[in-house]
Amino acid sequence: MEMSRTTAAPVKRRRLFQNNPSVLWFMGQLGLFTLGVTILSEGFGIGVISTNLVKILGMTLCLCLIAIAMDVVWGYCGILSLGHFAFFGLGGYAIGMWLMYARTEIVIRESLAGGTIPPTEREVSEAVASQIFSVVGSNELPLIWTFAGSLPFQLAMVVLVPGLLALIFGWLAFRSRVTGVYLSILTQAMTLALSLYLFQNDTGLRGNNGLSGLQNIPGFLHVPQSVISVWFFWASAFALGAGYLLFAWVVSGKFGSVIRAIRDNEARVRFLGYNVEGYKLFVFTLTAVISGIAGALYYPQAGIINPSEIAPIASIYLAVWVAIGGRGRLYGAVIGAASVSLLSSWLTGGGAPNIDLGFYRIIWTDWWLVMLGLGFVLITLFFPKGIGGLFDYLVRKQ
Amino acid sequence: MTTLLEVSGVSVTFDGFRAINNLSIAIGEPELRAVIGPNGAGKTTFMDIVTGKTRPDEGRVIWGERSIDLLKLSESDIAKIGIGRKFQKPTVFEEQSVRDNLAMALKNKRGPLSVLTWSATEHDKTRILELAAEIGLSEHLTRRAGDLSHGQKQWLEIGMLLAQDPRLLLVDEPAAGMTPAEREHTTDLLKRAARTRAVMVIEHDMEFIRRLECRVTVLHEGSVLAEGSLDHVTRNSQVIDVYLGR
Repeated sequence: MEMSRTTAAPVKRRRLFQNNPSVLWFMGQLGLFTLGVTILSEGFGIGVISTNLVKILGMTLCLCLIAIAMDVVWGYCGILSLGHFAFFGLGGYAIGMWLMYARTEIVIRESLAGGTIPPTEREVSEAVASQIFSVVGSNELPLIWTFAGSLPFQLAMVVLVPGLLALIFGWLAFRSRVTGVYLSILTQAMTLALSLYLFQNDTGLRGNNGLSGLQNIPGFLHVPQSVISVWFFWASAFALGAGYLLFAWVVSGKFGSVIRAIRDNEARVRFLGYNVEGYKLFVFTLTAVISGIAGALYYPQAGIINPSEIAPIASIYLAVWVAIGGRGRLYGAVIGAASVSLLSSWLTGGGAPNIDLGFYRIIWTDWWLVMLGLGFVLITLFFPKGIGGLFDYLVRKQ
Repeated sequence: MTTLLEVSGVSVTFDGFRAINNLSIAIGEPELRAVIGPNGAGKTTFMDIVTGKTRPDEGRVIWGERSIDLLKLSESDIAKIGIGRKFQKPTVFEEQSVRDNLAMALKNKRGPLSVLTWSATEHDKTRILELAAEIGLSEHLTRRAGDLSHGQKQWLEIGMLLAQDPRLLLVDEPAAGMTPAEREHTTDLLKRAARTRAVMVIEHDMEFIRRLECRVTVLHEGSVLAEGSLDHVTRNSQVIDVYLGR
C-alpha cells in the first residue's frame, strides 16, 4: 500500500504537466523574467532597471497571484466574488503591523539607549504605542497589537484572518444558497463594510492613515532598498510560481471537474451527491488565503497600506483583469492582471506622453479609466474569452 | 421484492395550485415501474419531492430497511443514499469530456479533500469503460459532451446514473427526441438496470411503455388514478377519460 502511494505521486505530477503544457511554459517564462529583472536591477545587476521599477514589477507579480485566485473562484467555480481585495488588504495589514511595530521598537530602543538607566520593557512598549498611535490621538497599544512584535504570530495572521473571514462569510452566504448577482453584491458589501470600518480612528489600525514605512524591514534597516526590492521581487515570483502550481493542480483533476460542473449547473451536481456548498466554501476560503499571502508580499513593496486599498472598486478591477485576460485559464488571469495594471501605472504615473491633437489634448491620467471601461465592454461583447482566447485561435490555426 | 421507497399522503401547493394532492405510491426492489399522466399531473413534482428539490406541505417519504425520512435530507445526501435522477432535458456537463462526466458520477467518496486527491484506480477505469460500452459511447470517451447528439446525451446521462450505482433510478422522459432504434436501445438499458434495482420511468410515449412490460401508475391532478398492468389501466374508464381519450 505504502509502495503504491509513493510511486503514484510522480505519475500524477507528470500528468499535471502533460494535461497542462501551459504550466511548464508559464514556469519557464516566470523563471526567465525573474532572472532578467535580477540581472538588470540596481541591487544585484547592471542597474538598467530602477529600484522603483523593480518594486512595481514585484507588486505586479502579487497582483497576478490574486488574479489567478480570482480566476479559480470565478472562472472555474463560477462565484463572481467582488470582495477578494478585502482578503488581500487583510494580509497586508497583518504583516504591516509587525513591520511597523518591530521597526518602531528598534528606533525607540536606540534612542533610549543613550540614557543612564536602561529602559524597562513597559517603557519601550509605551513609547512604541505613542509613536505609532499619536497620529490618531492615542498613546495606548490596541488589543490586536498585543503580539504585533512577533513575526511568526503576524505571519500566521496573514493566513488565518483572511481564511477565517472567508470561512464565516462563505458559510453564511452559501448555506443560504445565495448565488449569482446577489452573492456578488454581498461580497461588495463585505469589502465596503470592512473598508469603512478601517477608516475609523479607533479600530486600532490608524484609520485613514493606514500603516506606513512598510518598505523598511526590521533587522535589515541598513540594507539598501535596491537590494530589498530584489528580495521581495524574488519572494513574489516564488509565491506566484507556487500559487500557479497549486491552482493548476487543484483545477486539473476531478476536483476541477466538479467545480466547473458547479459553475455550469450546480443543481445537477447536487443530484450527483456532491455537497455543492462545501465545495464553494473550500474554493472561496482557499483563494482568500492565497489572496492574503499576495497582499502580505505586496504592501512591503508598496510601503503603505490604508483602507482605501480595499475599497469596492479594487475588487471590481480584479474581476476586470480576469475578464480581459480570459476566464477559466490561469495564464489568462496573469496576462490580464499584468498587462492592465502595468499599463495603468504607465499611463497614470505620467510615463506616457500626452498627445496633442491640435484641437484637443489627450491627457492619459484623465482618459485611462475611460479606455479601460471601453476596453472591458468591447472584450465582453466581442471576445468573451479575453486575450487568452487568442491563444486558442492561434493553436487551432496551426 | 421488498418495499424500497414509500411515499404516503404527500401534498404540495404552489401559489394556491395543488400540484400534488394526497399522493401515495410505493416501489419495491428490484422493480421496473412506469408513471404516466397528462401534463400537470404532478409527475415531475413527484420526482422533485423524492430527490429533495421540493419540500412537501404534508406527508411522509420513507426510504429503505431502516425507514429513513427523506424529507430531512439534503439533495446531495439523498443522492448519496442511493437515489439517482435523470432529468427531462438531458443535463450533462457540456464543457467536459464524456469520460470526465462519467468519472464525476462514479460511486466514490464525495468530499472535497478526497476528490482533490482522487486518481482513477484500475477498478474506476474498467468501470468507466464498461459503462461507456453499455451506453454505446465507447468511441466517444474523449469527446466534449456538448458535441454529442441529443440521443447520445440522453444515454450519457443514463450512464452517469448507472455510474452512481443507485438503488432507485428516477428517469424522466428518457426517450424524448430519440430515433426508433435509439428508443429500443434505451428500453433494453432500463430493463437490464431494473433486474437489480428499482427503476421508475416517467414517459408519455405509450409504445415505449408497452415495450418496458412493467407495472404502470397513472397520475392525475396530483394523485394516483389507477395502477396495474398496462392493459389493466388502459381499460380503466377514468383513465380513458382524462388521458387516453384525448
